[in-house]
Amino acid sequence: MLTFVGLGLYDASSVTVEGRNRILSADRVFAEFYTSQLVGATVSELEAAHDVEIEVRDRAGVEQDPEPILSAAETEDVVFLTAGDTMISTTHVDLRIRAEERGVETRVIHGVTAETAASGLTGLQNYRFGKAVTLPFPFVHGGDDVPQSMIDSIEANRERGLHTIVYLDIKVDYVPRRGGPDEHEEFMTADYAAALLASGWKDELAVVVARAGSPEPVVRADTLSVLATEEFGEPLHLLVIPGDVHHIEADALVSLAGAPRSLVE
Amino acid sequence: MGRRKKIVQECEKLMDKPENIRNIAIAAHVDHGKTTLSDNLLAGAGMISDDTAGQQLAMDTKEDEQERGITIDAANVSMTHEWEGTNHLINLIDTPGHVDFGGDVTRAMRAVDGALVVVDAVEGAMPQTETVVRQALREGVKPALFINKVDRLINELQEGPEEMQQRLLDVIRDVNELIRGMTEDKDYDWTVSVEDGTVAFGSALYKWGVSMPSMEETGISFGEVIDMEQSGQRQELHEATPLSDVVLDMVAEHFPNPLDAQPRRIPTVWRGDSESELAESMRLVDDEGEVVFMSTDISMDPHAGEIATGRLFSGTIEKGQELYVSGTAGKNRVQSVGIFMGGEREEVDRVPAGNIAAVTGLRDAIAGSTVSSVEMTPFESIEHISEPVITKSVEATKMDDLPKLIQILQQVAKEDPTIRIEINEDTGEHLISGQGELHLEVITQRIRDNQGIPVHTGEPIVVYREQPQQQSREVEGVSPNRHNKFYITAEPLSQDIVDEIKLGNVSMDMPELERREALQEAGMDKDPSQNVEHIFKTNILIDDTKGIQHLNETMELVIEGLEEALDNGPLAAEPVQGALLRLHDARLHEDTIHRGPAQVIPAVRDAVHRSLIDGRIKLLEPIQNVRIDVPSEYMGSASGEIQGRRGRVDDMYQEGDLMVIEGIAPVEEMIGFSSDVRSATEGRASWNTENAGFRVLSDNLQTDKIMEIRERKGMKLELPASIDYI
Repeated sequence: MLTFVGLGLYDASSVTVEGRNRILSADRVFAEFYTSQLVGATVSELEAAHDVEIEVRDRAGVEQDPEPILSAAETEDVVFLTAGDTMISTTHVDLRIRAEERGVETRVIHGVTAETAASGLTGLQNYRFGKAVTLPFPFVHGGDDVPQSMIDSIEANRERGLHTIVYLDIKVDYVPRRGGPDEHEEFMTADYAAALLASGWKDELAVVVARAGSPEPVVRADTLSVLATEEFGEPLHLLVIPGDVHHIEADALVSLAGAPRSLVE
Repeated sequence: MGRRKKIVQECEKLMDKPENIRNIAIAAHVDHGKTTLSDNLLAGAGMISDDTAGQQLAMDTKEDEQERGITIDAANVSMTHEWEGTNHLINLIDTPGHVDFGGDVTRAMRAVDGALVVVDAVEGAMPQTETVVRQALREGVKPALFINKVDRLINELQEGPEEMQQRLLDVIRDVNELIRGMTEDKDYDWTVSVEDGTVAFGSALYKWGVSMPSMEETGISFGEVIDMEQSGQRQELHEATPLSDVVLDMVAEHFPNPLDAQPRRIPTVWRGDSESELAESMRLVDDEGEVVFMSTDISMDPHAGEIATGRLFSGTIEKGQELYVSGTAGKNRVQSVGIFMGGEREEVDRVPAGNIAAVTGLRDAIAGSTVSSVEMTPFESIEHISEPVITKSVEATKMDDLPKLIQILQQVAKEDPTIRIEINEDTGEHLISGQGELHLEVITQRIRDNQGIPVHTGEPIVVYREQPQQQSREVEGVSPNRHNKFYITAEPLSQDIVDEIKLGNVSMDMPELERREALQEAGMDKDPSQNVEHIFKTNILIDDTKGIQHLNETMELVIEGLEEALDNGPLAAEPVQGALLRLHDARLHEDTIHRGPAQVIPAVRDAVHRSLIDGRIKLLEPIQNVRIDVPSEYMGSASGEIQGRRGRVDDMYQEGDLMVIEGIAPVEEMIGFSSDVRSATEGRASWNTENAGFRVLSDNLQTDKIMEIRERKGMKLELPASIDYI
């Protein structure tokens, strides 16, 4: 049995009760933190909170060599953990298909994801979001500062009046590569992202969501060029680029995110 | 004021008159007497004593050059010479003749407008003569001929006037055949002739020379030369018709000055916009234009640091200028400028367009860099046709020397682009690859002697290549997250296309239309020639996909994966050559982060390797052309030396009183050839080898050789199961 459990947004208490029960009853617990991370809890804090041993797999250990996870799941009760939700924005459907192909039963225990928070904290309605995008560090994708496909996706959403979630890059265990710096920040911050995007859209409205799921999340709306000059503290951050704003969404951005009234009318 | 100081001042005065400048190189087969001739010219200009010219070898400035008796590095010197009442500034580069150092010759040709080709009257035109003439003509450099060692015809061979004349005419005919062949499609006739005064004869050793104009001027004819040589009146002959005057007159009269040469040469060596102001100022040799300098040589001076020597095509170069160096970001600041006098550099305030300058402070420049005051299209890369064929490992004896050794190896690669260095910081065993045994021996000896670093060197190892032999089927490469797929085929490229790439006639730096035409001319079909996405070494990537979303922003990663795959072929991680890869289709994840480097690079690498394997990739080994000149009684033992080395004898013929054997043999088997052929012929053979590219290793040796290389590299000793045809 292979159960995918989403750990939720922030720390050891972000998981659902069902997810926690699954972890407690599992024979073995695997996890990956290269697609996202819980900022409020280290792996050992998670282990202590749930009284289990967690085997952390790196990218190669999940994508290229999933054998230990799959063969364990053939005979034992195995749980596979990720931050947020295991199937939203990450790519673990592949692992689930491989398990099913081997006759291993699978289950998904949902977690709260950044998508929920982007909508929940900003007051922007989930019905009105378009395609989500990820902003990579410029040296990673080898193109211009902002990949054209991202610009195209945001523009396409805006043309239809839809909001866009912009996830920000995470570089775990950065290995220097050609054209890249020797060392690198692990998390892209919202002000860095706003500065990149402001080169094309400096007067456009955007909303920063920082540390969603923590006791003190930050939500802040202003133009991209203003956001680029501010600081939003500890990770994780994400950005939302609103499309057409409904009147109740406008009120929410002003009162919940401190947007200047002039920008939302 | 010292004599030397005076010459420097005279040179400085002449630098501003391009019509009076001649930039020339002396080039020849090894031992035909280039450096001895250079000495004559220096003595003629009063820069070394007349008595020692011929023995001093002033231009062989490094100790090992004087010991080995050959020139290894190209050396620079400036001198003045009066011709028809006007003083001329002659910037001269002496180049090495030994085949292992051919890269220096190619680079020197970029800096000059005229090439004085020296041929030994006794030996005649030899393989390296042909190579240097080709190198000159390819760069648009005008040749003139000096036939050396005529004294030997007179004294040793005791030839009569008629025999001698025939021999000299044969040399001229051979050289002209080469020139004609290379300039067929040009609108100028550069063949040389005695009547025009573009041929001179003489003896660099005894410092006399004659040419048609000199005979008219001095009244000393060939007959008198023979008489005076035979009666030992060499000193009188030298005084009556000194070699330096004859040759320098020829240089001043027949070689183009920069004003003549640059309008013709710029289009062959620079692919930038010919309508631009920059192009105009290079054509006009405008010393007030933007600075455009091409470094052709990097050398190390213990006091001044790195010195970049090269040709200034436009502008005036001065201390303190901030200049761009092609291929690097930011600018370098000029610390000093100078000209060369013998082996020494003389600092001057400024050097104007049309001259050869020595510049310090250009820390990012390598031999071949374009250096300029505005960002510009770089010059055509100086392609040296031979690739490195031999590798040696170098290890510091003392661990403490390790950082310094790495620094020196990097310096060596900067100075000589025909050297390849692989630094392995984990094992401390670094690999240095070059043109031949001698090339590597000289370099490692210099590390030992000049830098004082004791090093161990391994046995020389031959460099191999891998190449697909047939058209492959379409194969798939999947990214680790399985969300991205690439579909690729591989096939061998024709030799014609590979040659065009090697010669630099096809490259990604040139305008698309020109590249397309050049490829079609070399035999590529119209469609692929229009879809060339990338050229890496001698391999081409064609993008045959249509309208795949996000592919354009993923292409850079595709190329990175391709290059990784081609640098380390699937058989033995040797470089792949002459492969045509086609990308037929791709499936990509919607979001950038799920089609990042960690996904795309391995997917493409796998697809490329699979396609190469399906195209029956095989191991290639480097081969050499071999020519042996030997008395007929040793012919059997000499040809046995070729045949016994997996070689092939292609031709045997009589030339004078010697037999000539021509053939090819693998470089690997040629290691140690020198001493073997010497003992087989009791020292009576002279021979010449020339790298001649790569050839598929015979089938019965493939497996053993692949495993031997894999073992040396610490790779798995079994091939992927899909390689079932070897």
